[in-house]
Amino acid sequence: MANNTPLSSFPTTRREFLRSSATRGIGLLAFSQFAPSFLVNSTLAQAPKAEKDRSILVLVQLAGGNDGLNTLVPFENADYYRLRPTLAIAKDKVLRLSDTEGLNPVCTAMQGLFKDGKLAIVQNVGYPNPNRSHFRSTEIWETASDSDRVSGTGWIGRYLDNACSGTPEGDHDPVAMHANTLNGAPESFIGEKPHSTFGLGGYGASRKDNEETRHLLEAISSGQVMDHSAEGFLKQTLMNSLVTETKVQKVINGYKAQANYPTSAFGNSLKNVASLIAAGLPTRVYFVTLNGFDTHYNQITAQGRLLTELSTGLAAFQKDLEAHKLDEQVVTMTFSEFGRRASENESKGTDHGTSSPLFVMGSKVKAGLHGTAPSLNIPKNQDITFSTDFRSVYATVLEKWLENPSEAVLGGKFPILPII
Amino acid sequence: MALTLTPEIAWNQLPDTEWNAAAARHLLRRAGWTALPADVERATKDGLSLTLDRLFPDSVPVFEQPRQVAHMVTEAEELQQKAQGVDEEEKRLLYREFQQRSRNAIVDMTIHWMRYAARPESAAFAKWVLFLSDIYVVGYEKVQRAPLIYKHFDIISRYAFAPAPLLTKAVSRSSAMVQYLDLNQSQKKAPNENFARELFELFILGEGNYAEKDIKEAARAYTGFKIRKNGEVYFQANQHDTGLKTIFGETGQFNGDDVIRLAYKQRAAGAFVPHEMVKFYLSDTMIDKSYLFSLGDQWKSKGYGLQWLVKTFFGSRLFFDQSFRGEYIKSPIQFYLGLVQDLDLDIIPVPRLVINPLRQMGQVLFDPPNIRGWVGGHNWINSTSLAARRNLSESLFAAFYEAGLNEDEKLDVAAARAQGHGAFTVDATRFAPLLKLTPDEVTHKLVTSLLAQNPTPSLKESISNYLASAEDIPAEHLRRIKRSIVTLISSPGYQLT
Repeated sequence: MANNTPLSSFPTTRREFLRSSATRGIGLLAFSQFAPSFLVNSTLAQAPKAEKDRSILVLVQLAGGNDGLNTLVPFENADYYRLRPTLAIAKDKVLRLSDTEGLNPVCTAMQGLFKDGKLAIVQNVGYPNPNRSHFRSTEIWETASDSDRVSGTGWIGRYLDNACSGTPEGDHDPVAMHANTLNGAPESFIGEKPHSTFGLGGYGASRKDNEETRHLLEAISSGQVMDHSAEGFLKQTLMNSLVTETKVQKVINGYKAQANYPTSAFGNSLKNVASLIAAGLPTRVYFVTLNGFDTHYNQITAQGRLLTELSTGLAAFQKDLEAHKLDEQVVTMTFSEFGRRASENESKGTDHGTSSPLFVMGSKVKAGLHGTAPSLNIPKNQDITFSTDFRSVYATVLEKWLENPSEAVLGGKFPILPII
Repeated sequence: MALTLTPEIAWNQLPDTEWNAAAARHLLRRAGWTALPADVERATKDGLSLTLDRLFPDSVPVFEQPRQVAHMVTEAEELQQKAQGVDEEEKRLLYREFQQRSRNAIVDMTIHWMRYAARPESAAFAKWVLFLSDIYVVGYEKVQRAPLIYKHFDIISRYAFAPAPLLTKAVSRSSAMVQYLDLNQSQKKAPNENFARELFELFILGEGNYAEKDIKEAARAYTGFKIRKNGEVYFQANQHDTGLKTIFGETGQFNGDDVIRLAYKQRAAGAFVPHEMVKFYLSDTMIDKSYLFSLGDQWKSKGYGLQWLVKTFFGSRLFFDQSFRGEYIKSPIQFYLGLVQDLDLDIIPVPRLVINPLRQMGQVLFDPPNIRGWVGGHNWINSTSLAARRNLSESLFAAFYEAGLNEDEKLDVAAARAQGHGAFTVDATRFAPLLKLTPDEVTHKLVTSLLAQNPTPSLKESISNYLASAEDIPAEHLRRIKRSIVTLISSPGYQLT
C-alpha cells in the first residue's frame, strides 16, 4: 500500500491546494472571499470518508461496433465457416474456452483471466428491434431505453440520481469519471440532477497545453468579484473543477503501477483509473473508451490490433488492482453499440449488425460462459437475433454490484444473471 | 436590478450620443450570438437604427426544409399505402422503420439549423425564432416526427414579425403543438384543459392573470381539433362545444380563435412577451413590473406587432443600461454558435460531434426538457457542463481527427466538403498576423473581441506575460497565442454575454 496516497489526506488536499496556489503568487486563494462551499463547510474536514468498501464499476466502451463472432468464435459451427469464407478463424487457431466456443487468437491474456476465474462472458447480448446507426444504437446502450423510445438521461446518471441524491455539487470529488472518450462526458452519465463528473486526459489537449491552460485559468480567474454575480458563480464552479484537475493530476503523477499496461491512450487511461481507485476517491463509476471497431474493411488486422489492446489492457488492469489489493472492489464491464453482420462483406470486413458478447471482469465475478450462443442458421446478410437483453446485464450490475434497485433506473424489471 | 431610468422613458430609443462600440457589442451579442470586430466597426459607424434594420429586416432568410425531412413527408404517404392490407406485425415493423428515419432526420435537421443560425445574415432572426420556440415549446421526445417539428418552426418563422395574436393562432394549428399538448384528445363531453391552461399561462398572459373558470371555459371553446394520420390538423364540427362560454367576463358562443382574441384584450398580454424577452435576452434578475407594463401598453396599442416589439426592445435605453452589460450567462447554443462565428468555422456535419457537446452542456435543440422550455441562467452551469464547454473549445482547436470517425461519419464529412463546408477546426496559422504585434497589443485584441466585460488588469497582465515569455520564437509564440485563446474561451468571462 506504500504507493497509495493515504486516504486520510484527501479532505485536506483542497486546502493544501489553495495554500500552494497562494504561495505561487497566483491562484485560487482569491476565490475564498466568496466562500467555496467545501471551505466553509466544516463537516467536510471529516468527509468524504474512506471509500475502501465501496464497489466500483468500470465501463469499457468498444466504440464502432465490435465483431462478436470473431471475438468469441463458435469454432464447431459449420454456419460460421459458411458465412465467413475469408474472415473465419480456423478451428486450430482459436483459444478454446469450451467445447464449442473460443477466443480470437490475440486474446491470450483474456484466456488467462478466464482460466483464473476472473472473466465472465455473456454471449449474444443485444436488444429487440435493433438499430444499426452508430449514433442511435450508442444512445440506446447509454440510456438503456427501448429502441423506439428516446430518453434524455443515461443509465449511470439515473443510478447516481438514486444513489447520490442530495449531495450538492462542489462539496465532493466527482462521482463519475471518463477517459479517452470520443468527445467528453458519455451520455450514460447524464442524470435528472447534475452530478459532479470529470474527464481524465485533459479535454483532448496535450499535457503541456493542459497544464498551461490550467495555470492561466487560475491566474485570470482570480480577483475581486461580487458574491452573487454571474461571474462569481462561474468562478466558483470553475475553481471546483480546477481543484479536481490538480488533485487528479497529482494522484496520476505519483502512481506506481504494478503491471505493464499497453502503451496506448487506452492502456494509459486504464492505468490512470487504477491510480484513482488506489487513491481512494469516492468515484463510483469510470468510463473508458477504446475506439475503432467499425471494421468494414480489412477486419482481421484492425480488429486484431484492437482486441490485443483490449485483452492486454484488461489483464494489466486486473493484475494492477490485485497487486494493490483492490481487485475485490472493482468490476469491469465492456459494451459495444452493436455486433456485426454474420456474413462478411466484399471488402474483407463486416457491416453493422446486432448482438455481440459482453465481458465482465473482476475477482468477484462468476467466471465462465453465460447465456447462449447465437444461432447462425440464417441466410446470408440476415442478422443474428440476440438472446440476452443488455439491460439484464445492467440490472445485474446494479443489483448485485452497486447494490441499487434496478427497476427505477431501467424503468422495468429485467432478469438477473448469475455473473456476479 | 438598480435601474435609474423611469418606466416612462426606459423604452425610448437610446440617444445617439450614447451609441458607441461598447453599445454595439452589447447589441450584437444579445441579439445574435457574438460581436465580430468587423461587425462592431460597421454598426458603430452606421448608428443604432440602421443596425436594428439590418438585424431585424422585413425580409429574412428562412430555414429551408432539409432534404431528409422533406423525404420523410413522401415516405409517410408511402407508409400509409404500404400499411394497408398487411398484418399487425408487418405494420409494427413499418412504423418502427419510419420512426428510425424520423430520428435520423431530426438529427440531420439539428446540423442544418446550426449551420443556418451560424450564418451572420440569419443569426439574429434564428435566435428570435429560437426565443419564440422557447415560448411555444414542443419537444421531439413526445412528437417523434421530424417533419412536424420542422413545420412548427416554419410556422413560427413565418409569423415571427407578425402581430402576436396571428402567431398564436397559427401555432394553435401546428400539428406538433396540438400533439404535444394533447389537444386532439379533447372531447366535447370531456374537454382537455391542458392546451387552454398553457395558452394562458405560457403563451399569452403568464401565471396569475386568469381564473380557473376561464381555463375551463376556454377548454370547451377549444374542442373539435383533431389530427389526421398524416399529421394534418383539422376541425371536426361535431366534436366542438357550441354552447355559451364566459371568458374574462365576456359571454358568447366562443371558439378557439375567440379565446385568443379575448386573451389579448387583457393588459397582462402586453407585458408577457416583454417579460419573456428580458428573461431570454437580458437578465437573470427580473426587472420591475412597471417597466414591463410600460412597454406592454405601448405594444398593445400598436396592435402587438412583433417586429415593432423587437426593434423597440433592442433599441431602448433600458436594454443598453450599464447594469445589464456582460452579466448574462450564455446558453449552450449561444456558446456553440458564438464560438463558431468567433473562430470563423463551419458546423461539423457529424451529429455525434455537435449533438453530444450540446447535450453535455445541457441544451439539445428541438428537445427542451418540458413545456416550460429551458430554465437558463445559472442553471446552465455546473462542473460537468463547464468542462463540456472547455472540451468543445479544445476540440475546435485540435486537428480534425478524421481517423476517429466511423465510416458513416466519413461520408457525411466528404459530402459537407463537397458543398464547401470544410473549416471544421481552427487553423492556427491564421493567427500569424498577430505575431507582428506586441504581447500587450495581442492581449488587447483578444480580450476585446472575446470578452463581454472589461477585463481586470491582472487578467491582461497574465495573458500578456504568458505571451511575452516566448516572443522571440515564432512557432512557440503562435502556440501560446492559440493557448491564450483557448484559455479565454474556457474562462468565466467568455461564458458571459
